[in-house]
Amino acid sequence: MRFFVTISFLLLLISCSKEELGPQCIDCIEEDTDTEYADVLIVNEGNFGFGNGSISLYKPSNQIASQNIFQQSNTTPLGDVIQSITQFNNKAYIVVNNSNKVEVVDINNFNSIATISGFNSPRYFLAINNNKAYVSDLYANSIQIVDLTNNIISGNISIAGWTEELLLHNDTVYVCDMTNDNIIIINPLNNTLIDSVKVGRQPSSIVKDQNNKLWILCDGGFNETNPTLIKYNPQTRTIEATFVFPNITESPNGLTINATGNQLYFINSSIYTMNINDALLPTTPFVSSTNNNFYGLGIDPINEEVYISDAIDFVQNGVIFRYSNSGNLIHQFNSGIIPGDFLFIK
Amino acid sequence: MKSLIVLLILNIMLWQTSFSQGAKDTINIESVEIVAKKIPAAYKTTKLDSSSISESTKLSDLLQEHSPIFIKTYGSGSLATVSFRGTGASHTSVLWNDISLNSPMNGQIDFSLYPTLFFDDAELHHGASGLIDGNGSLGGSVNLSNNPVFNKGLNGSVQQSIGSFSSYITSVKIGYSNKDWLTETQLYYNSSKNNFEYINIALQDKPVLTQNRAELQQYGFQQAIYRNLKNGNIGVRLWYFNSDRMLPSTMQTSLNDENQQDESLRTLIEWNGLIGNLKYKWVTAFLKDELIYSNTLSKINAKNNIYLINSKILTKYYLKYNFVLTNDASIKYEAVKADGYDAEHNRYNNTWLLGLSKNFKRLNIDAFNRFTQVGENTQLLSPNGGISYGFFKHNQLKLKANAGINYNYPTFNDLCWNPGGNPNLNPERAEMTEFGINYIQKVNQTLLEIEATGFYSYVYDWIIWQPTSTGIWSPSNLKEVENKGIELSLKLKTIINKTSVIANANYSNTFSTNLKGQSEFDNSIDKQLIYVPFHKMNYSIRLLYNTFSLSYNYSYTGKRFMSTDNNWYLPANFISNIGLSKKFKTSNNSNVSTSFKINNLFNQDYQSIAWRPMPGRNYLFTLTFQLN
Repeated sequence: MRFFVTISFLLLLISCSKEELGPQCIDCIEEDTDTEYADVLIVNEGNFGFGNGSISLYKPSNQIASQNIFQQSNTTPLGDVIQSITQFNNKAYIVVNNSNKVEVVDINNFNSIATISGFNSPRYFLAINNNKAYVSDLYANSIQIVDLTNNIISGNISIAGWTEELLLHNDTVYVCDMTNDNIIIINPLNNTLIDSVKVGRQPSSIVKDQNNKLWILCDGGFNETNPTLIKYNPQTRTIEATFVFPNITESPNGLTINATGNQLYFINSSIYTMNINDALLPTTPFVSSTNNNFYGLGIDPINEEVYISDAIDFVQNGVIFRYSNSGNLIHQFNSGIIPGDFLFIK
Repeated sequence: MKSLIVLLILNIMLWQTSFSQGAKDTINIESVEIVAKKIPAAYKTTKLDSSSISESTKLSDLLQEHSPIFIKTYGSGSLATVSFRGTGASHTSVLWNDISLNSPMNGQIDFSLYPTLFFDDAELHHGASGLIDGNGSLGGSVNLSNNPVFNKGLNGSVQQSIGSFSSYITSVKIGYSNKDWLTETQLYYNSSKNNFEYINIALQDKPVLTQNRAELQQYGFQQAIYRNLKNGNIGVRLWYFNSDRMLPSTMQTSLNDENQQDESLRTLIEWNGLIGNLKYKWVTAFLKDELIYSNTLSKINAKNNIYLINSKILTKYYLKYNFVLTNDASIKYEAVKADGYDAEHNRYNNTWLLGLSKNFKRLNIDAFNRFTQVGENTQLLSPNGGISYGFFKHNQLKLKANAGINYNYPTFNDLCWNPGGNPNLNPERAEMTEFGINYIQKVNQTLLEIEATGFYSYVYDWIIWQPTSTGIWSPSNLKEVENKGIELSLKLKTIINKTSVIANANYSNTFSTNLKGQSEFDNSIDKQLIYVPFHKMNYSIRLLYNTFSLSYNYSYTGKRFMSTDNNWYLPANFISNIGLSKKFKTSNNSNVSTSFKINNLFNQDYQSIAWRPMPGRNYLFTLTFQLN
């Protein structure tokens, strides 16, 4: 009897000694949360429902990585499933998918400026002008229009399905429509649909090259059709070329282009690169996967270095590989859980 | 009833000697033995005491507060899964009167859907003893059973509880039995708004918020009719349960509209008997589970239907020279119709267990082999064996050791989920061993039982779901897991100054580590699996004085990791509950009792699963009318 009383008393003492509430991160120790030009921000999705998404900061100059910098600067966690990050007007807009919000932070010190809430399942952010942005969505069946002055949702554009990446070119917005296999063309001045162009199955990513041609990567769905890479001329609104991937089981994603706008990169288990003038899809990888789970891809606009993320088992901190544009490994370092998106600070 | 308990204890203590004196000793011992003990002494089992069972409303609370099993709960009334000896949620079988209730879709059980009203006994079979119950129990099994007692006349109880957060629980039990017939009815109703306040530590300024989408409504009944036979009994049982819950979101999600409805119908017919030296049980069950999950935001409305037909013959033949031959055969048909599959899937899951044990005066040796056929997968050999040896006059001190191999077969989700299901999975294979020491001392009115067990198991081909290069989640045999640890338990019953003292304590120390990496960068090697605490401890003390009863329960759950590299963790929690009850005699064979219980006495703010708030201090008032 006395034994139990003693034990319970001791355990009570332990309970009073240290107050830890909720999930704790061990290696999220602050190195530096102030950012500067040319720094790299890495978006770590985190696990669905685990609320362990984060932003890592990497300084290419001294090769130091800091983890979980949003929480370091703001004491609250960023949220559940961090989808993407976009820089606009000295601010970073962080789309937090399962927390149904977009966090607005000061790009220099990561202090929170505002939280734009009321989304359903937001995916990507595209600034149209100083006052307006679009946010694509997985479930909302619409693109949300954001008032950047007041940081609120001011309206929406109905679209029947899942919208992914967005691109602004020549005062026109191009949206990947995953559900209906379209590129949707929107006039941002009056928020109206102009046209839609049938592309391949599930267009997920879109980039613009140096000749103002748009490149769209369609993953082909889950063993539904062969994936395709499409070259689209926005001026004539015609597809100029369709590159078909040889295997139906492939699922290329993460199409990225260098700052010059002549070299495409994408993930297809391994990492591949392709010149915009190439006649065929690349067959030799730029970086081969050896049991890696490559998940995200970013190209440094200054020196065209290639950043590749490996999510490993998707439940632990990922690894980032930094390659020169000739394919030599420069550095590798840890980020957070499921690193997916990169931002190179302008 | 009291004599039965005494008999049970006696039986446990004299388990070996009763057999060494021959199987036909007394029918009483035998009839108790049918429900009480089917696992040889070499294996670790934990019998949960009846007052703990009746005091806990749900199986999830019972196991969390009174057993070494770790319960992961998504919130009050929400999904609750287990980790037994460091294994996963699909590695613990739950059997109800020898029929496995695990879902063939995911191999799991939602422990929050099992009110304790619906069973009389609960026993845990740890490690290799779970193997004797069936395949799949890599961690162990939880055995729930009803215990029909003839010749009791009219008996029953009506219980009404009112608790915090608009919680109402009504339970009714009515039974009648004479020497030939028995009928038993249980009715259950539970509703709760679950609108407790919590601090949202995920938001700026940490506001106090009210959980606003956690309402639940559950009801069910069980009806049994038994006929006493010359050397046994035959009976049917029907159990219906319906649950309708809102699924609350995490602290980090503002929008949410998820609901889950579960409806289960379980029927069984059983025939227990004794012919000469052959003790047998034949049981056939039909189970139907329906689960409807809806999420208006993502426009999901998924319906899953499970049908199980299981027929088992369990026999024990007491041979000459104290040999006991065990021969158990089970034929099970599993069928699933789920929106996540491209078609309806079904398979047979048949097993046959053959075992021989020999009981000497002090020594007890056993060996078993299980033959299994699941779908097209046939396993001829999954053996286990054990040995125990007793010391002192009445074998009060017992040393035990056992080892075995068990297989857990891929579930229908693993094989058939569309997209992602992997038809080429191997079954998970566990090689396990344990060593234990058990000491029972009975002096006058004091009964003390202490048990210490060390266990080791190695699981090959551990199935993990992970995104593939196509971005689709898919299972594969990715990990090799080593589980090892220690379990300590203590039971004490005594009387001090006219006060009965009943104390139970459990401690488990579990190291559950992944030994196989996916690439050279994999940091999960040699790290603890997620959501497996290193330490879990609980104890309860019950004091009975005159018509008063005071009970205190403390449960400690150590740090649990949330990431496989052990970089994120949830801090430990220690929850105390206290209850006081008083009984008023209303007639010779009836009484009324009132009880008041405070849960989470010290109002601790904690999470069982990351970002899922748990209720703070809360109260439950119960009024019971009982007829014996």
